[in-house]
Amino acid sequence: MIDIKKTYKNYVDGKYVRSESGKTYTRDLKNEFYELPLTSRKDIRDTVTSSKSGFIKWNGLTPYTRMQILYRLSEMIEGNKESYIELLVSHGMSKQKASKDIALAIESIIWFAGLADKWEQLAGNLNPVSEEYFNISHQNPIGVVFSLSNSTVSLNNLLLSLLPPLTIGCSVISYSEESSVLALKFAEDINNSDFPPGSLNILTGKFENILDDVSKHVEINLVALHKEIENDGLKRIQENASSSVKRVVSLPSISGLSSILPYLETKTVWHPKGT
Amino acid sequence: MKNMKTSDVLMQWSNVLEMVYESRIDSVGLNERVNSLATRSIKKDSKLEALKMIVTMCDLTTLEGEDTEGKVSQMVAKAIKPNPLDTSVPSVAAVCVYPSLVSVAKEKVQNSNVKVAAVSSYFPSGQVPMESKLLDTKYAIDSGADEIDIVINRKAFLEGDYRKVYDEIVALKEVCQDVHLKTILEVGDLKTYENIRKASLISLAAGSDFIKTSTGKLSIGSSRQACYVMLKSVLDFESMTGIKAGIKVAGGIRDAKDAIRYLVMINEEMGSDWLNPELFRFGASSLLDDVLKQIKKLQTGAYQAGYYFPRG
Amino acid sequence: MVDWQYSESIESSDIVSIKKKYSNYIGGKFVEPKSKKYINTISPSTEELLSKVPLSNEQDINSAVKSAKEGLEVWSKLTPNQRSRYLFKIARLIQERSREFAVLESLDGGKPIKESRDFDLPQVAANFFYFAGWADKLDLSWATKSLKPYGVVGQIIPWNFPLLMLAWKIAPALATGNTVVLKPAETTPLTALLFAEICEKAGLPSGVVNIVTGDGSTGSLIVNHKDINKIAFTGSTQVGKLIQKSLAGRDVGLTLELGGKAANIVYEDAAIDQAVEGVVNGIFFNQGHVCCAGSRLLLQESIHDQFVKKLEKRMQSLRVGNPLDKNTDIGAINSKEQLDKITSLVNEGVDDGGELFQTECELPGNGFWFRPTLFTNVQPSYSIAREEIFGPVLTTLTFRTPEEAVEIANNTEYGLSAGVWTEKGSKILWTADRLDAGVVWANTFNKFDPSSPFGGYKESGFGREGGRHGLLSYLKASS
Repeated sequence: MIDIKKTYKNYVDGKYVRSESGKTYTRDLKNEFYELPLTSRKDIRDTVTSSKSGFIKWNGLTPYTRMQILYRLSEMIEGNKESYIELLVSHGMSKQKASKDIALAIESIIWFAGLADKWEQLAGNLNPVSEEYFNISHQNPIGVVFSLSNSTVSLNNLLLSLLPPLTIGCSVISYSEESSVLALKFAEDINNSDFPPGSLNILTGKFENILDDVSKHVEINLVALHKEIENDGLKRIQENASSSVKRVVSLPSISGLSSILPYLETKTVWHPKGT
Repeated sequence: MKNMKTSDVLMQWSNVLEMVYESRIDSVGLNERVNSLATRSIKKDSKLEALKMIVTMCDLTTLEGEDTEGKVSQMVAKAIKPNPLDTSVPSVAAVCVYPSLVSVAKEKVQNSNVKVAAVSSYFPSGQVPMESKLLDTKYAIDSGADEIDIVINRKAFLEGDYRKVYDEIVALKEVCQDVHLKTILEVGDLKTYENIRKASLISLAAGSDFIKTSTGKLSIGSSRQACYVMLKSVLDFESMTGIKAGIKVAGGIRDAKDAIRYLVMINEEMGSDWLNPELFRFGASSLLDDVLKQIKKLQTGAYQAGYYFPRG
Repeated sequence: MVDWQYSESIESSDIVSIKKKYSNYIGGKFVEPKSKKYINTISPSTEELLSKVPLSNEQDINSAVKSAKEGLEVWSKLTPNQRSRYLFKIARLIQERSREFAVLESLDGGKPIKESRDFDLPQVAANFFYFAGWADKLDLSWATKSLKPYGVVGQIIPWNFPLLMLAWKIAPALATGNTVVLKPAETTPLTALLFAEICEKAGLPSGVVNIVTGDGSTGSLIVNHKDINKIAFTGSTQVGKLIQKSLAGRDVGLTLELGGKAANIVYEDAAIDQAVEGVVNGIFFNQGHVCCAGSRLLLQESIHDQFVKKLEKRMQSLRVGNPLDKNTDIGAINSKEQLDKITSLVNEGVDDGGELFQTECELPGNGFWFRPTLFTNVQPSYSIAREEIFGPVLTTLTFRTPEEAVEIANNTEYGLSAGVWTEKGSKILWTADRLDAGVVWANTFNKFDPSSPFGGYKESGFGREGGRHGLLSYLKASS
């Protein structure tokens, strides 16, 4: 019997879409090959539009609701543990390592889920100014974040690249080259977890094709690179970004409270106290 | 409200201005109260009672460029007998049409208790000189309208010229004489609760018999929050003058459930005095059908389809 | 003229099955009391007997504490992530059975189903979710490595928010690595015992949570037990003082959340209609059985008459009746004892010279009921202006200046909460700065969130529950 093969599509705005270019690229694995969407410049444009409205929706939820949604994501992945392990094994990982990776991934989600309604108490504060003013610093998420995944195929790595910005309210465009199959499978669990459309978009392709568009797009507020870029790519990204003072972070910390810091904007408000 | 002498008008105005500038509303608290009222569970007999009340409070409305004599005739027939198979369903309060269709509506309502209301003052925008608004209104009254629904001058209001808003309503009321006047605030244009309150007080002081939420022509129609602000204004106005004015909610009230929530609010905030068509109305088109469905469901226990009820 | 009456809309109690007799939950099992004695629990809205629960004695408490110690061995060896997962699981199970818990709470305690369904239960689940998320990141909460859990914690909770008070106690205790022996109030044990079933279903290791029922004597046994490392008590100031005294000379941690006589200050530039709502909510929510209830209305004299008129009108639409009727606003008074206390204080208020206003609602035949009550023309020296009534009774005082408002507000041995109503921002901040209260609500009242620390100044207690600060109630500084 010929098996029915799943077509992998990008996940944008809560829907599965092919690249508008119609192009794909191949990933050859043990006993298997996959055709993945080769994301184009126009795809980026459409995805950013979705991420913008996704940010408003996602950030508009209460921290409690974001926590619930993230926790539900952990429940979804827990339920699909076996199929993730199978996928990682087909990428060449040992079964034991794969199990460990999935277990860590779920632990990471739970950790960040529980941070969603707490990070503000840890990052913000009252400032003891020396006049009769109430002065408070609090943080807002920066907006639309483009995140380039690490080349190691690992669910935990993938999650740690997108959980910090997501947890604090940013919308995320997660872009994968090597871990594309894993990322698009993961998209299915996103789809089942009540995330508002556009809050988390998953794309695959060759980063070189869209490097300039991403680093120049004014409506992408931050570019996070979780892997090394070849051939002076980082320099090019930073130069492009400078034209709109876009934030670029290369290989940011992925654990602990410091992982959320790059994605915050601090707002300080003064108010007089008196009758 | 009867004709007032100039000195009465001026004295009223300074009081009005004071009331207007004292308007302080906390929107968070207001929303909580409105949402809390919406948790009332209205079932069984009290629900049937409510549904029938709603029918008697409906102003069945058609305000389209494509309205014709035929369309209006159909609507009037439905207004008189909303459900010909169920005589327990009463007639609605009124039909509401554009001035050019008032005479045909009046002819068709004949001996029933259904009133004919006309929109005027260059509804819905009101963006014309005063003379045009007066003409519009006079024409509707001459055609036989029992009730007139005007729009406030939002341009003047948002420019801060409250006196102009007031004067226009006074002038229009003068044309109306004893014809019942509803003043549409168009809450979708006013946006803030304080603006809605101010516009309410100005309209009431100028002699409106009713204040009405919306024209139904904007995407933002009535809301229970706007109704709450208005009812508080009506109560405060009553407390200052002894005059009981009415409220009409229109635009966006699509189903019986929502309409019942309005009734709950009127019941608990204002009291049963206001639960009658003389003091409370719904501007409706699709609402009536949902109410009829709900009535039938309570009587038979089964969910209904729209085709059981006549087109209107 | 229309008089539109709402038909009954009763939440069915079929979803709950109440046992004829309950056992304690000790060491992961349901255990009959060694005392062989039981106490009755009734429904305060009908006075009918609901069930019998253990009247635990010294042996029962010893057994519970021993289990908690054994549980601590296991609990402390788990990873933070594992502890976190247990709490998340409990939160989910509560969420799923919310309706059942809500109905049981209303039956056993008398509060309206509207409240237990829309406030108590969501808050209960939220508290477990919130603290679940702290369990695996305590190192982030306070920047010191020397904070450690106490160990075995004894928790005694009141009858006004039975399950919510349980959540406020158990969730942070477990998240910080402690194990607990909890005693629910005498008149409201049932939701705590149902919660024990949740612990069982969640597979919580034995002894981590122990639920023992009983009366004041049982509470005493817990407080005086030598193997308990910390006591957390919510209840009356009178009992709180006794507990504090009992612990003198012993190295036992203590947090107290006691009574209140909160001032709800309404300035003349308040948004009056919303302030009326806030005042009503402040004192009539949960029949006034709230430690932080806004029981003293401080009105700026210039708006006194206008405000009182609106308030009295608003009170008339409060519906008193069957707690399981979805349209009930004010349920039953929790017990005959409490009803007598309220009645006595109200009579005193009338005798002292206060002007009484009560709404005209009909009251059911059986059960314990009290109509929403407002006192005006009150002097600060009257007992109704000083003593905690813990019922649907509001006392009104007037002030002329902001300074006077603050002075009157602080003129009490209590300091749990306060309300401030004005549309002027700077006045809110000025007033809040000067109020001796652990919680200040501006242009709102009775707002709670697991992330928001709650607790009192002065004789309203010490220690905070909720938020990052709430964790400190269960972590001990060690050298």
